[in-house]
Amino acid sequence: MSLVIECEKLKRTGYFTVFLAGGFLAAAFPVVYMMVKAEEMTSLSGNPMDILMAANWQMMAMLNILISICGACMMYHTEYADNGMQKMSVLPIRQENMFFGKFVIAALVLSAMAVIEMAVLSGCAKYWFQSYVFDLAEILKIAGFQIVVTLPTVMLMLVIASACRNMWISLGIGVILVFTLSILPQDNAVLSLFPFASPYQIFSASVENSRAVLFLAACGIETVLFGIAEVVYLKVRRCFE
Amino acid sequence: MSFLSLIGIELKKIRRSKILLILLIPVIMMWIPGIINADMNFDLRGIPITPENNFFIQGFMGMVWFMIPATLVICTVLLSQTERSNKGILKMLSLPVSTTQLCLAKFTVLLILAAVQMIMSIGAYYICAAIVTCTQNYHFILEPLYVFKNVCSIYAAAIPMAAVYWALSTVIWSPIFSVGIGLASIVPSVLMINTKIWFAYPMSYPFYLLMVAYGRAADGVYETQIHWLPWLPAAAVITIIALIAACVRFGSSENR
Amino acid sequence: MNMIETQNLTKIYGDFTAVSRLNLHIRKGSVYGFLGPNGAGKSTTMKMFLGLTQPTEGSFHIDGKTYPSDRVSILKEVGSFIEAPAFYGNLTGEENLDIIRKILGLPKSCVDDALTLVGLTEFRKRLAKKYSLGMKQRLGLAGALIGRPPILILDEPTNGLDPVGIHEIRTLIRSLPQKYDCTVLVSSHLLSEVELMADDIGILNHGHLLFEGTMEDLKRSAHAAGFPTDNLEDTFLAMIDEDNRRRGGTI
Repeated sequence: MSLVIECEKLKRTGYFTVFLAGGFLAAAFPVVYMMVKAEEMTSLSGNPMDILMAANWQMMAMLNILISICGACMMYHTEYADNGMQKMSVLPIRQENMFFGKFVIAALVLSAMAVIEMAVLSGCAKYWFQSYVFDLAEILKIAGFQIVVTLPTVMLMLVIASACRNMWISLGIGVILVFTLSILPQDNAVLSLFPFASPYQIFSASVENSRAVLFLAACGIETVLFGIAEVVYLKVRRCFE
Repeated sequence: MSFLSLIGIELKKIRRSKILLILLIPVIMMWIPGIINADMNFDLRGIPITPENNFFIQGFMGMVWFMIPATLVICTVLLSQTERSNKGILKMLSLPVSTTQLCLAKFTVLLILAAVQMIMSIGAYYICAAIVTCTQNYHFILEPLYVFKNVCSIYAAAIPMAAVYWALSTVIWSPIFSVGIGLASIVPSVLMINTKIWFAYPMSYPFYLLMVAYGRAADGVYETQIHWLPWLPAAAVITIIALIAACVRFGSSENR
Repeated sequence: MNMIETQNLTKIYGDFTAVSRLNLHIRKGSVYGFLGPNGAGKSTTMKMFLGLTQPTEGSFHIDGKTYPSDRVSILKEVGSFIEAPAFYGNLTGEENLDIIRKILGLPKSCVDDALTLVGLTEFRKRLAKKYSLGMKQRLGLAGALIGRPPILILDEPTNGLDPVGIHEIRTLIRSLPQKYDCTVLVSSHLLSEVELMADDIGILNHGHLLFEGTMEDLKRSAHAAGFPTDNLEDTFLAMIDEDNRRRGGTI
């Protein structure tokens, strides 16, 4: 119910278009990369999907994060720009439900992006690598993992966006977080669990280090924690307005 | 009204916008890993570079490829949203000011904000270099002339990119598209820098200059000569086209 | 029976007292005119009724319910319109109302009903951000009237409307209690306007309630206090002026 309403609010903002475009842009990376470096890549040994992911995922993940930031800012910008939020606060609904409606939408469009990217990656593997055998279960596993490790980032960004009336502040905080966590050392196990850092993790690498379960569990917990933080924040904010 | 006083007005409009804080935080953040991992600067992994040069270039790397363009995108959002949120732009357009001048004044403010960040990053560099010099017992502080020359050239190279972002935010009305395209355009610059057509991609200019500085400080890492010829005219053409597009669209999009 | 009642309701922002020990009594099925100059505390009081801001002291009851425990059930009964119209600029007028309708769980026909009530049917397919000031105001009113709630809280609903629009809205508000038995709290800074709409009046200045009662009571008490009574606007101005002088204000 609140999902339908939140979707309706995003009409004509270009929200869904941006995610679709972002998905295709991210998917273009491996294609371009293979067109340029096909020989080098096909001579590598290993699972084609893993090779492609290792070569491209850093950039694709960053694009996913940036588009998610942009989307979160936009969601709350439509709320604040013409005072729509004020009207919502005098209607008999819970602010929390509105927030979680937004989160579900953000998570769904992120998943759509990831699915597009995985489809193109497997297409690349099929086209350039003779040894590649299409395995739907594997693709879905990778996609699922990458979506789950990105969820804390999406949730945290929505929390930030809900707290800032001015879009440039939430955008600024988001971009600073991306920057900060991208210059921190990537091999540190604790730091890589943080939101804005976890999306760069690759499924096959974490399976190798037997950290896949750790990542999934940690990211799940983080997502829930940020969700609780938002509920608490909304309660506190109501007292101070 | 003179152009200078117009810039003064534009600067006044962004008072209390917390933008300086947003500019300052990444400048500080970029040096924290540098200070914590200062000993890594001696581990050169076979690259023939001095530790002090390594410290300088590694520190600025993230700034140049990600933070400068991202800051510019944020600042364009700030400049356009402060006008639109309370319809300030309608008042401005109804005053006897030329829209072209108004547009260029806003672009100048964008450049001033970028310059402020550059000055802050130089300050942060010297503070951090001094800290690292103390902790590591090794002289990390580079000559001011070298630092200023590099930072100023990086700044100059960011101008075409700023013009493009400014044009994007005026030509594309919907903020999500201009921000989305702006942020998305940052990511491929790592790829573009290694292709032959890097000069057609303004987002990679500052990164290119830093890589050349890297190449000069460490043999064989990257090119040591700047390819002025296709670059300079290309940059000039891109800047001019972007600014013309911004000025033409600036008034008309609000007048609809 | 009183629909809305306040007990020593107070709101203090830092060192500024916006509303001071307010005791309002709003009868069920009446139109209550809430009168006062700009910045008297009318909007603050209304915001407290809607849970948009917390009272510093005192309490209030709406239909026997109170905040924060009955927040949702109060908001279900109250249609509100506060200050600047609040809407989504990227949606049409109809879509804006549709969102409110869905949240309130009303049937689809309510949107058309609300649009007709405020005379916006013609422009329902236009984007809200392209609306004129008066149309935005009407959209805000439609958002308050949708579903015909038993309580209406309207903050200066005729702001920005043309004379014809003002007349229409006044007539509409006046007719609401008979039409579907609702209670209306409407604020204004014009006594002449309130006179045409309201059964009861409350006059607020600097957060203090100067007067509460019917129009007849007002005339009587003004006469007793020696204020001019032939023109009600003068009565109002004299009352405010007298109050300001008493507080040592210079206005």
